[in-house]
Amino acid sequence: MARSVTGRLIWLFSCILGGLAPCHAEIRETSVWWLPRNVNMFGHEIDFIFYVILWLTGVTAVAVFSVMIYFIVKYRAKPGVPAIHSHGNNALEVIWTTIPVFIFLALAIYGNEQWTQMRLRTPPAEALPVAVVGEQFGWNVRYPGPDGKLAKMSAEKVSKENPFGIDPADPDGRDDFTTYGELVFPVGRPVRLYLSSKDVIHAFYVPEFRLYQDMVPGRVYDFVWFKAEATGHFQLACNQLCGQGHYKMFGKLSVVPETEYEAWAKGKAPATTARTKDSRSTPVALAGR
Amino acid sequence: MSTIAASHVAEAHGHGHEEATGWKKYLWSLDHKIIGLQYLFTSLGFLLVGGALALLLRWQLAYPSTQVMPNGDVGNPISLPFINPQFYNALFTMHATVMVFLVVMPLLIGAFGNYLIPLKIGAGDMAFPLINELSYWFFLVSGAIMLAGFFVAGGAAAGGWTSYAPLSSVAAYNGTKMGQTLWAAGIFINGLASIMGAFNYITTIVNMRAPGMTFFRLPLTVWALFITAFLLLLAVPVLSAAGAMLILDLNFGTSFFNPAKGGQPLLWQHLFWFFGHPEVYIMILPAMGMASDVLSVFSRKPIFGYKAMVFAMIAIGFLGFIVWGHHMFVSGMNLVLSAAFGVSTMVIAVPSAIKTFNWLGTLWGGSIRFTTAMLNALAFVAMFVIGGFSGIFMASTPVNIFVHHTYFIVAHFHYVLFGGSIFAIFASIYTWYPKMFGRMMDETLGKIHFALTFIFFNLCFFPMHNVGLGGMMRRIADPTAYEHLRSLQPINQFITLSAIALGFSQLIFFWNFFRSMKHGQPAGKNPWHATTLEWTVASPPGHGNFAVTPTVYHGPYEYSLPGHARDYVMQNEPPTPESGTGSPTRRPVHAG
Repeated sequence: MARSVTGRLIWLFSCILGGLAPCHAEIRETSVWWLPRNVNMFGHEIDFIFYVILWLTGVTAVAVFSVMIYFIVKYRAKPGVPAIHSHGNNALEVIWTTIPVFIFLALAIYGNEQWTQMRLRTPPAEALPVAVVGEQFGWNVRYPGPDGKLAKMSAEKVSKENPFGIDPADPDGRDDFTTYGELVFPVGRPVRLYLSSKDVIHAFYVPEFRLYQDMVPGRVYDFVWFKAEATGHFQLACNQLCGQGHYKMFGKLSVVPETEYEAWAKGKAPATTARTKDSRSTPVALAGR
Repeated sequence: MSTIAASHVAEAHGHGHEEATGWKKYLWSLDHKIIGLQYLFTSLGFLLVGGALALLLRWQLAYPSTQVMPNGDVGNPISLPFINPQFYNALFTMHATVMVFLVVMPLLIGAFGNYLIPLKIGAGDMAFPLINELSYWFFLVSGAIMLAGFFVAGGAAAGGWTSYAPLSSVAAYNGTKMGQTLWAAGIFINGLASIMGAFNYITTIVNMRAPGMTFFRLPLTVWALFITAFLLLLAVPVLSAAGAMLILDLNFGTSFFNPAKGGQPLLWQHLFWFFGHPEVYIMILPAMGMASDVLSVFSRKPIFGYKAMVFAMIAIGFLGFIVWGHHMFVSGMNLVLSAAFGVSTMVIAVPSAIKTFNWLGTLWGGSIRFTTAMLNALAFVAMFVIGGFSGIFMASTPVNIFVHHTYFIVAHFHYVLFGGSIFAIFASIYTWYPKMFGRMMDETLGKIHFALTFIFFNLCFFPMHNVGLGGMMRRIADPTAYEHLRSLQPINQFITLSAIALGFSQLIFFWNFFRSMKHGQPAGKNPWHATTLEWTVASPPGHGNFAVTPTVYHGPYEYSLPGHARDYVMQNEPPTPESGTGSPTRRPVHAG
């Protein structure tokens, strides 16, 4: 029996509403419609500046909209009441130019101070070096072995077989081990990232770390470092459009206690070549491949 | 004196061409008004295309065809199965490309720039009518080339409207060699159209102002378009050059942007954003100018702080060229450079703040008429404030590390581009439609259209701030692929339903627009009792605009002058003793 038009509409409508149902089953760890929890030591400053700007703009917005609505109501056209003929007021112009100048400069200067702390300060010597090299559509990850040193990466040597661009003879690299799409960080210990890409630009993005950084082919970025302050399981997402599989380019990222990290690292075989098949502990399904 | 030359030319109907007739009038007219209307109709058509693309991509975000359901099925029961990830990428790439290059720019600059500049400065036509018409045809061809991408092997360009290299420049990475080439070719030709328009506008405004039309008697619409023309002239060639380099990389073996062969991916970003940031102001300055005029007319008040408004726009024009790096804070460019761009970006917020305060000052003490045009102009101010405020978050380099490339930025630029530019465009259409077609648009339908657009716009775009802060990336074909985004899916569905309602509300506008051409109330010369020169001539104005070149005696905003019978003084009204604005220092420069 063919459904009536109304029947079809009701069916469509219930599908649309029904589509909402399966989603509320998986609620995010902490926050849903707002900033997720922050686990990075640098995140506090980012959140602080965020809230300062939020208060500043929020209060100003309320003020501006209140004045606007007041004017709209008060000065609506009324018969017999002409408008005031005024071309402006220079004193007011000076005031409402000067005040924003100081506010914006203060924001810029304070922001730069923090930017310098986060990006231009040399990472601590005890930081754990981890190399992450993006490719369409996954993550090559390289960890140092017991010597705590990563093989030296050079962007010119990056190739299909050598995603990290290392010199195979580099002694520092002998005990390095690699994973594919799996990152584990010890809690409370600084981590220094070495970011690059094999093909197109990818980006290292973890909202709980308040961290976004492009990974550009032909370059190795070594200035990103952070310290995770809490344990948990997160998702690493590529946040720079990198092709048709971009939407599924994610990785597993865990922050664990130092001992757990040591145990995990011990269980990983050193990389004999730059990347071995067995090191793909989390294969990422590739669209259209 | 330029005005002398201009008046001679204008008296001789000075555009050196006769009125085209019949079908020729609409295909190959050199009349700036017809060219303006060609731009208007074409870009309204593209608006429907861009809107349809937006609804398709919104549907995919709410009901992904790629979603793995709890029972193991792939695809939501009501998803559109033809939207695969590659097509989704093409959808948002082309949505943005169409909206930026084929809708907002040509509406503001092509349609209103062409239509209003000669009429508002008292000229018979543009300085270079043939180049003007060529500019329109280049624009149309560029649109056809870009959209042709959907019909070639591999599909349309899918690298984002920013087309970051090397994804865009290496065929093996993008899989859309032909579509991406067409995109770049379209951008190149579109750029030529913009350049032709830009120097035409500058020449016209500098040389063809009517006697007495000093620079500080220009309506803010003309000032805004004048400054915009300089931005176009300096920024667009860079994009065209980048587009040409992209074509060479894709097809002819060069490697400007491919690091595997010695190129620099960041070079593309610098070239693109050197154009791209002035472009942001190219798309908002004319909107600011036209909204200022609308606010003044319907408040029956002079614009508050006219010169402050002009200097603020000039400041935006200059600063607009030194802030492009704020799109690249996290691209890995020199980290000290980011700090410098952070400061210039904060500073450019100041002129925008000045303009907002002056708009409020214009409302103060007014006699406000709530026409559809005025409602849209008020919405423009309010939405621009929100869009400006969300920009401050991203201008702060540390916060940018967190919100970069999330839906927060998508919310931000839609508040500026739709909430700002499109509301100003609606305000302008409702204001100047009577001049263009000689009839009024229906006010009731107009107000319904405004109310629905305003409500659904906010329901659609405001929650995007929240999903962005919640960590949702832009440009992903299926948010449900991410554990950390699944809880946001109800908001995504809400946004999509609001977007559909927003899209369908626009049909009221189109119905009103076309119906009023035949059935609208006759408008007469000056239905809004405005002061500027376009309202001194018939609606629509005849070929050559002014039978006699007008002489200008007043500024553009002489409303509610005390001691006058009428509450407005036309710019070309000879001064009377009591009008008091014909003081010797402001006496017009007479021709001859």
